Amino acid sequence: MPKLLEGPRAIGHLLRRAGFGPDSASWETYAGRTDYDAVVDELLAALDTKPEPDPDGFDPFVPGAIQQLWLERMVSGRNALAEKLALFWHGHFATSNTKVKDAALMWAQYKLFRGAGGGRFEDLVLGVSRDVAMIRWLDGNANRKGHANENYARELQELFTLGIGEYTEEDIREIARAFTGWGSRHHEFVFREHFHDKGEKTFHGETGAFGGEDVVKILVGLPACPRFLARKLLAWFSHPEPTKDEVEAVAEAFRAADGDIKTTLGAIFRSETFRSPKSYRALVKGPVEFCVGALRAAGRSTVPAWIHGGLDRMGQILFQPPSVKGWTSGTGWLSSGAVVERLRIAQRVAAGATTDATSRVIDLAFQNDVPDPLKTTLETVSGKKRITVALGSPEFQLA
Amino acid sequence: MLNRRDFLTAVAAGGSVLALPRIAMGDDTKPAKPSERTLVLLHLNGGNDGLNTVIPYKHRRYRTLRPGIALDRGRVHKVSDDLGFHPALNGFRDLWNRDRLAVINGVGYPNPNYSHFRATEIWFTAEPEKSPTYGWLGRTIDTKPSEKPLRAIALQKEQPLSLVAGSPGVVTMTDFGRFRVPSGLDEVTKLYKEYGKLEGTQGKVGQAGEQAIRVAERIARLRPADGPFYARLGQDLRKVIALLRADLGLECIQLSMGGYDTHANQSASHNRLLAELGNNLNAYQQQLERLGVADRVTTVVFSEFGRRATENLSGGTDHGSAGPVFVIGKGLNPGFHGAYPSLDDLDRENFKYTTDFRRVYASVLSHAYRMDPKPVVGAYEPLDLFAS
Repeated sequence: MPKLLEGPRAIGHLLRRAGFGPDSASWETYAGRTDYDAVVDELLAALDTKPEPDPDGFDPFVPGAIQQLWLERMVSGRNALAEKLALFWHGHFATSNTKVKDAALMWAQYKLFRGAGGGRFEDLVLGVSRDVAMIRWLDGNANRKGHANENYARELQELFTLGIGEYTEEDIREIARAFTGWGSRHHEFVFREHFHDKGEKTFHGETGAFGGEDVVKILVGLPACPRFLARKLLAWFSHPEPTKDEVEAVAEAFRAADGDIKTTLGAIFRSETFRSPKSYRALVKGPVEFCVGALRAAGRSTVPAWIHGGLDRMGQILFQPPSVKGWTSGTGWLSSGAVVERLRIAQRVAAGATTDATSRVIDLAFQNDVPDPLKTTLETVSGKKRITVALGSPEFQLA
Repeated sequence: MLNRRDFLTAVAAGGSVLALPRIAMGDDTKPAKPSERTLVLLHLNGGNDGLNTVIPYKHRRYRTLRPGIALDRGRVHKVSDDLGFHPALNGFRDLWNRDRLAVINGVGYPNPNYSHFRATEIWFTAEPEKSPTYGWLGRTIDTKPSEKPLRAIALQKEQPLSLVAGSPGVVTMTDFGRFRVPSGLDEVTKLYKEYGKLEGTQGKVGQAGEQAIRVAERIARLRPADGPFYARLGQDLRKVIALLRADLGLECIQLSMGGYDTHANQSASHNRLLAELGNNLNAYQQQLERLGVADRVTTVVFSEFGRRATENLSGGTDHGSAGPVFVIGKGLNPGFHGAYPSLDDLDRENFKYTTDFRRVYASVLSHAYRMDPKPVVGAYEPLDLFAS
C-alpha cells in the first residue's frame, strides 16, 4: 500500500482539489489540522449552503457581469467546494451563451448547479432537462411529436449520463420522442402536451408510454451511469486516467448513496488513491482554477477586470465552453499560447501584491510544500519577482 | 517582373540585391534549405450540409428531400452537367474556373457516427475503431523525428486532436502579439526546461512551457496579411498567410470555422457561412499565388459529417453521414473526384459514402509530405488529386 499523504501536505492537497487552494484565512483555519476526515466533512458542508443571493442591482445582462460575479465567489466566497463543483457541472452539462444568448438564463443554470450540485444526481439531471438555457442550447423547442429533434436525447446519453458506446441510435430516436413537448416560453419551462408523443417507446430494454422524467430515472439507473460519472469525478477531483478498480469503487459509493453527489465526493476525498502520492499535484489547473488560485494566494479579494481577457486567450470564458463536450482538461490546457498567457498573468498578479507579503503569497500558493528545482530558484530571486516566478512556475500550474 | 538581364543591370547600377524579392533572383540563389510543403487544414465545425453545398441540381429527388430548403436550380453555380455549387459559393466557382479546386464527393467511412465529438475524433485520428490517442497529423509528424520547436500550428484556442503528437513542435495559438513573452523571466524559462526532464504531469507541463517560450519570440514579430478578408475565417486566413510567408518550415496549419450545425432555419445561416468560406478562400489562394508561396501549400476543407438528406421540420437538417471534401491549390487534377452519393439509395435518410476519407488523407500525405501514407492511415489507395 502506498504511503498516505499526511499533515499539511494532505490538507494542502485537499484544499486545492475541494476548492481553488487556500486564501489566508482558510490556511490559518486548516493548515495545522491533523484530523483529515473531519476537515473533509467541514468542506463538504459547503454543499449544504444555499447560493448567496445576487447583490443589489445585479444585472446579468451587463456584459461580463455573470463571469465577474462567479469568479468573485470563487476568489472570496466561503464555499469553495460548492463553487468548484458548480464549475465541474458547468463543464459536464456544458452550455454556451453563444447560442442561448440570454445571460439571465445562464445565471439561472449556474444557480441550479450551485444549489443542486451536491444532491442526488437524478434530481440534477431532471433539473437540467427542464433548464431553459439547456432547452435553448439543445433545441428542445424544436422537438415535437412526429418530428423529433434528437439533439438533447443524444447528448443526454453520450455526455451527461452514460458515455459513448453505451446506447444505440435507436435509443436516441426513442428518447427524443419521450422528450417531445419539453420546451420553454420566455424564461420558463413549459410542457406542451399537444407536441408530446404519448405513444409507446422502447429504449435500453424498457417499453412504455414514457416521458422525460421516466427517461432520466431509467438512464441514471443503468449500470453505465455510475461508472461514467465516477470516472469524470475522479479525473476532475483526484487524478487523470483512473483505473477500472478505482472507478468501480466510486461507482459503488454512488450507488450505495442512492446517487447522492456529496456522499460520493466524500468517498473520493477519503479514498487511499486520493491521499496517495499518485494524485498529488497530478492534475493541471484549468485557466479559471489557475487565475482564482493565484488571486487567492496573492490576497486579492476582488477580481481585476483584465482577468477576463486573459481567460479568453487561455480558452476558458465562463458560460462559453467551446462545445457541449465542455472544456479540455489536463495537458490539453497547455497549449503554447496559453502558457505564455499564464506567465503574463503571474506577472500582473505579482505587480498587485505588496512586496512585504512575498513569503506569505508563496506559502499560500504551495501550502508550504515547495519542491526542488523551484525551491532553489526562488532563493535566487527577490521582491515581486519571486511571486511572478512562483505563480508562473510549472509547479503552480499543477493542482 | 524583372527578368535576369534587368536584374543584373539593376545590380550593376548599384541597386541593392537585398532589396529585391527572392523570386527575382532566379535560379542563382536557391534558399539554403528547401521550404517545407505546408498542409492547411480547415475544419467546418458542426457538420456542413454537403447536399446544399455541392448540389445535384437536376436530380428529381433533391427537391423531394428538401421541399423547404432546396436551392433554386437557376441560382446554382452549375459547374458540370449534374452538379453545381451553392449560389453563395462565388469563390469556389472562381477557384474552379482557375483549376484551383478539386472536390471529392461522398467522403465518409463505414458505420458513420452521428455525434459531433466522436465523428470529429474519427476524422482527427483516422482510426474509427480505436479510442483516440494521437491525431493523424500528429502521427505524420512522429514518422519524421525532429527537434524543431515549431512544426505545426493550430490557429485556435485548444489543440485539436488531429495534431496531438508524441514529438514536440505542435503549437496552438490565436494571436501573434500574445506570444510576446514578458521580459526578465529567465528563471521561469529555465524552470520549464528543468521540469521538462521530469516524469508525468510535471514533465508535460515543463515541455509545453519550454516550447511555448522558444517559439514565442519568433511568432510575436509577425503581422496578419492585408487583403479583402472578412469575418472570423478571414481574420484567421490573414494569419495563415503571414505564417506561410514567414517560411517558418511549418508542416501543417489547422484552423476551424464554426456554425455549421444547422438544425433550424438553415437557409440564411448556411448562405452566409458559404459566402464567407468561398470569398475568403478565393482571396487567400490568390494572395498565396501573388506572394509566390502557393507552390508549397495545399489547402484541404472538410467537415466531421454531412447532414441528413431529408430536412427537418425546423427548416434545418440533422446530423448525417458522408459529405464533400475540397482541396484547393496549384498542381491539382481539378474537378470532381469520387461518385456523388445516391439520393435514391439512402441508409435511413442518410447518404452512403462512396470514398473513404482515409483515401483523401493518403493522397495528401503522399503529395504534401512525400511520404508513404500506409504507416499513418493504413493501406488506403491515394486518389488522383494531384498532377505532380
